[in-house]
Amino acid sequence: MENKIGIDVGGTFTDVVLIRGDEVMKKGKIPTRQEDLLNTILNALDFIELSGTPSIGHITVSTTLVTNAILQKKLPPVELVLFPGSGMQLSSLHWPVSYRVLAGELDFRGREVRQANLKEWETLAKDLKQSEAKSVAIVGKFSHRNLVFEEKLAAYLAKEVTGLSIALGSEWGQSNFYRRSLTTYLNLACSGLLSNFASQLQNAVKARGCNAPIRVLKADGGVLPLEKVRPVESIYSGPAASVLGALAQSDGQESYVVVDIGGTTTDIGLVLSGNPLMSSHGAKIGSFLTNVRSLAVRSIPVGGDSAVLMENGEASLASYRLGQAYCIGGNHPTPTDAMRYLNLTDYGSMSRAEEGLALLLPENEREPQSIQQIAETIVHKMADQIGLAIEQLLMEWKAEPAYKVWEVLHHQSDFKFYIQLSGGGAPGIASALERRMNTKTILMDLSDVSNAIGAAMAKPTFSWTLNLDTSLSRYRIEETGEQGSWEGSKKPHKEVEEFLKNLALRQAQSMGIEAKTLQTEPFDYFPLVENYHTVGQIIRGSMHVPPGVLRSVTGGLKDE
Amino acid sequence: MNKTGIIFFPAFDWSLGESHPEREERLLYTQEQIFEEGIMDLPQVKQYSPGVANLTDVLRTQAIFPRLEQHQLDAHLIAVGSSIILGKAIMDKEIHNGFALIRPPGHHSGATVWGNRGFCTLNNEAILVNHLRANYGIKKVAIIDTDVHHGDGTQDIFCYDPNVLCISIHQDGRTLYPGTGFTDEKGGPNSWGCTLNIPLIPGVGDEGFIYALENWVLPRVEEFKPDIIINSAGQDNHYTDPLASMNVSARGYGKITEIIKPDLAVLEGGYSIQGALPYVNMAILLALAGEDYSGVIEPQKPERKEIGGDTFRSYLVNLKRQNENIRPNWTLKKETFLPAGEWVIQEKNIFYDTDWFKEHRKDYVRKCDHCGGTVLIISQNQLTFEKAVLVRIPFEACESCRQAGYDLIEHFKNTEKTLLLQNQYKNEVRFWNDGREVNFVEQKNQTA
Repeated sequence: MENKIGIDVGGTFTDVVLIRGDEVMKKGKIPTRQEDLLNTILNALDFIELSGTPSIGHITVSTTLVTNAILQKKLPPVELVLFPGSGMQLSSLHWPVSYRVLAGELDFRGREVRQANLKEWETLAKDLKQSEAKSVAIVGKFSHRNLVFEEKLAAYLAKEVTGLSIALGSEWGQSNFYRRSLTTYLNLACSGLLSNFASQLQNAVKARGCNAPIRVLKADGGVLPLEKVRPVESIYSGPAASVLGALAQSDGQESYVVVDIGGTTTDIGLVLSGNPLMSSHGAKIGSFLTNVRSLAVRSIPVGGDSAVLMENGEASLASYRLGQAYCIGGNHPTPTDAMRYLNLTDYGSMSRAEEGLALLLPENEREPQSIQQIAETIVHKMADQIGLAIEQLLMEWKAEPAYKVWEVLHHQSDFKFYIQLSGGGAPGIASALERRMNTKTILMDLSDVSNAIGAAMAKPTFSWTLNLDTSLSRYRIEETGEQGSWEGSKKPHKEVEEFLKNLALRQAQSMGIEAKTLQTEPFDYFPLVENYHTVGQIIRGSMHVPPGVLRSVTGGLKDE
Repeated sequence: MNKTGIIFFPAFDWSLGESHPEREERLLYTQEQIFEEGIMDLPQVKQYSPGVANLTDVLRTQAIFPRLEQHQLDAHLIAVGSSIILGKAIMDKEIHNGFALIRPPGHHSGATVWGNRGFCTLNNEAILVNHLRANYGIKKVAIIDTDVHHGDGTQDIFCYDPNVLCISIHQDGRTLYPGTGFTDEKGGPNSWGCTLNIPLIPGVGDEGFIYALENWVLPRVEEFKPDIIINSAGQDNHYTDPLASMNVSARGYGKITEIIKPDLAVLEGGYSIQGALPYVNMAILLALAGEDYSGVIEPQKPERKEIGGDTFRSYLVNLKRQNENIRPNWTLKKETFLPAGEWVIQEKNIFYDTDWFKEHRKDYVRKCDHCGGTVLIISQNQLTFEKAVLVRIPFEACESCRQAGYDLIEHFKNTEKTLLLQNQYKNEVRFWNDGREVNFVEQKNQTA
């Protein structure tokens, strides 16, 4: 039977599982070395004895590589060139990077309103020849409707300046010029990093006698082969792994909140009738707002290793850690110690936990009763912070915008939720969280490696959104930025769906994605009227394979 | 930071007909523009989710005749509900101001509703205003209507109410629908001067419009001292609008918004859906959010001749003089069913252009020195000859006006088929059909 390997690189620990069929055969947890993620992953693979394991279907990695590089601002220079046209001042929004502005403007349907200025292009080329930046991101307002300026400038620069790597904003086909600019910038800036990492990892895996494809988990809960993923799409794969891990360990059609309690952060996600909720905005990373599709998740800086502080005689949780928990040899008390002391977990030394918690009290008050009390307060506070974040996520979901009468009238907000709990700190917090939320809380059987299971079992996702303007005879695809000409009727009907389906299937095939479960959203048809005559239509529609898991997983694992 | 709330509800699945100006496509390009600009990513902009208004809110303000079920209200209830959500957010101090960027519009819909007129069935601003008065203790409201058409529905709802100042600045009714909004319409017997109409000659642009606002509208608003200012932000004064003949630019609309400083702007008309709306909506939103809108430039240039300068100023001076010279001239009426007191009668004919029929109305207003005065409206649909009666006891009604209202109800309960009581004083709405009180069914997803 085929084996699958899942690896989730977390802030503190990296989890790894080996799954055969629907059974977890091996699992492990090794410390993460943020400064050397490649070796962290290789250690994880060695831990489950990759070299000796036959017939591996795929290895899936959820990694913080790109996230870290962005947050730590370790990105190579990129020249960002914009065609902003008129409209809101660029300075109204915060730009975390500098940019250069060129003339040339399109309107909302992608029609040319003002021409480009070739003199400016010459100056740009001259400057680039002297610049250390060898990467250029070119982004135009409304370029997702027409990439004419971007393409022409790219061709010009490729001819004038050698050795440039150029990215176009139109490759990110969603609206929002600001986010598209930053996304294009980040993606280009991270591409070298990810491709280096990919080739090193692939070589190392091959050297261990394994030829299985390596897949990367994305922010939207989907997976792509390491060589096909757009680097910036690999951010926030950790929270996505938590949601998928819960999906792999629950029944198909239920609605629940996923809570994954790690050492440094707690990730919270939402599953509605078996489908993970997607965020209606793109992901935000550091001070960059992006167009990257992601699951609607919240990460809060509270975990089993959060430092406990005393303020005016009351315990509170810091948003940072000060090393390991006291009960496993650290120097500072943490929620993990409180859970250990209360016998909610059996992780770490009981006497160390007691000693650590006692440090929070004045010397003359270190009696069992006070220690008990402070331990309870710590667990209660942690449950409260997680509860608050759950409530905020639910509120956000209820306040999702709607643009059609049908959507407003059929807005469902009366789901019954329970909580699916995973992560190292999960057993310790379960009953406190259940009390706080007044709802059933289920601890997953394999809660300690749930994220790695999510990565291993993740299904490729696929989304294909069409914007067709029959009057201008142009179509565009949001997700890939593909733009082409439409040769069909000005007022088409069902054939548009067929058209989109063919495009989608072709693309799915080229990405190695099985499109059997392709779902079609209802298409919107906007008759285009000029001078009281219908001159065409704007048609919007989408097809997608939602995020999900290949199959459910059971704990076939015997304790190692 | 001052937050600006926005609800964007383009009703992409609702229209009055495929090539009707009020169609699905109307806010399509506005969506493209504001989403592409990233306006929703401005840190001070907060997007709210639309909601559905409840029927009590509607009936408190508008009499839907002969019965609610006979109207298609879904889309309209969402437009109203969304306005209310932003109004509440302002009252709760979540936001400093807001923009209800919604369809369908509402300002031609009046005190009695037998159908759709001027693309409107429910009056978004009026229902919102009375919701805030009933629930938040708001006393005085100014509604400034900058749509190119006279806000006749809003005027009809509040013209007898001394606590609502209705100002409409629009293209002259002799040259444009609905053909009303002249400067002699100044309010009712207890609310004289609380209606102000400023009809403009065709061709007025940014300069003239802003001059009229600064020299007439603003001083009147300051004198009235409203607790809240609502802007009926129609966008058909734009120089590309196909239905009207004015010359205002998108940046002009930004300036108008900056001058009026509305707490809440509610989209009304505007049918140049490619040439104007994306740009005007953006300018209004940026102005509300305190951002620079000087870079908002529409691709099309104005082609109409602009009326401004001295020509316009002398026109406005004359108009103002005319307005000041108008004196009330009331017709008092005695009817057996009218309770004690002096009752002023006004007869009206209201034309429903969408559905093509007329309504005839007799409005009786009780003259009162202590409150807004109880209002009786006897209305007849001239197509079906159905008759219906509305009794309105105003907010903060005095004791005798309250009693007059109850007496009217006692009388009409048994003589009329359809009767509605808007008891704004007690925040209560009651409805009778054939002498029996009917409980109108509340819908789901209420905003209140």
